[in-house]
Amino acid sequence: MSLTVARVEPSIAGVGDYIELMKPRVMSLVVFTALVGLLVAPGHVHPVIGMTALLCIAVGAGAAGALNMAYDADIDVLMTRTAGRPIPRGRITAGEAAGFGMTLAAFSVVTLGLLVNVVAAAMLGFTILFYVVIYTMWLKRSTPQNIVIGGAAGALPPMIGWAAATGSIAIEPVLLFLIIFFWTPPHFWALSLYRTDDYARAGVPMLPVVAGDRETRRQILIYTLLLAPLGVTPWLLGYTGPIYGVAAAVVGAIMIALAFRVRAERGGYVASKQMFAFSILYLFLLFAMLLVDRMSGLVFGHIAL
Amino acid sequence: MTTVSNPVDDFTKRFMGDPPPQPGVKLTEQQLRARRARSIAIALALGAFVIVIFLVTIVRLGGNVLTRPM
Repeated sequence: MSLTVARVEPSIAGVGDYIELMKPRVMSLVVFTALVGLLVAPGHVHPVIGMTALLCIAVGAGAAGALNMAYDADIDVLMTRTAGRPIPRGRITAGEAAGFGMTLAAFSVVTLGLLVNVVAAAMLGFTILFYVVIYTMWLKRSTPQNIVIGGAAGALPPMIGWAAATGSIAIEPVLLFLIIFFWTPPHFWALSLYRTDDYARAGVPMLPVVAGDRETRRQILIYTLLLAPLGVTPWLLGYTGPIYGVAAAVVGAIMIALAFRVRAERGGYVASKQMFAFSILYLFLLFAMLLVDRMSGLVFGHIAL
Repeated sequence: MTTVSNPVDDFTKRFMGDPPPQPGVKLTEQQLRARRARSIAIALALGAFVIVIFLVTIVRLGGNVLTRPM
């Protein structure tokens, strides 16, 4: 019997490769939405506790990103959009990424639980687990509804931020969750329309691959028609002031107009690229307006006092 | 002056040939640089973690940080 031992080359991965493994762009959106959840929550959070919560949420999001890249290394190498990631480039092995991700996940959840509160920590742990196990390992490769259901993971950060501030959950953060949840399908499907070949080559059953271009454009319109009124709901229910309400109505109307253009488009991807780009701005503006509304409420509140 | 030979060295040379090269992997300049950068990043992260724990402890305990049983 002979024993073959694989020779492992010493790593040449730099700090930048590990940062890239944490999906910094996704992380920035997660941190921003969590920050809004934390700041619009009632009561006062000590800045140090608030910063600690955000740091833990950021690291937890990075951990989920690293675990996703570790598991998806085989399909990332096949897609143009992901071929430049550290594992397909051979800078980091999938095992190293998995170890890095699990270490960060454990640290972020335990630290959030010990230093902030257990409710927020449990939600962060659930979010990481949902993104890695439910979305990455199960749904992504098995159903065109992958990003619809999997979108719940990306929608949870404002609820974690709220829980970090209050130690509980209320209807307002659930509304923020629903906004991101219904925003995710039109956002990702607009991208997947002009990346269909990529997904088909990797065998990922994204909606345009499985149901075709026309059906995807129809679904984008349906989800956008649900999303736009939902975006205004926090104002309609009296949780925010008119600043937010007007802004949400305007950007929601632009989203609907773009979705109609995507629906009408034939044989090109100009409208879908515009929709993808604007959808990022839409979510950013909506959450930024929530902050502005909350801050202006505080300022006027002080003047009234 | 007499030279005393080492019996172990004599045995090694006679029956096992030249001693094997030093074990271990020789790192290239790039690998050494990358390892150093990773080590510094880990040190900074651990330092930041200690500072966070310290600050939160102070915030959580507040004025009680000075209260100790005698």
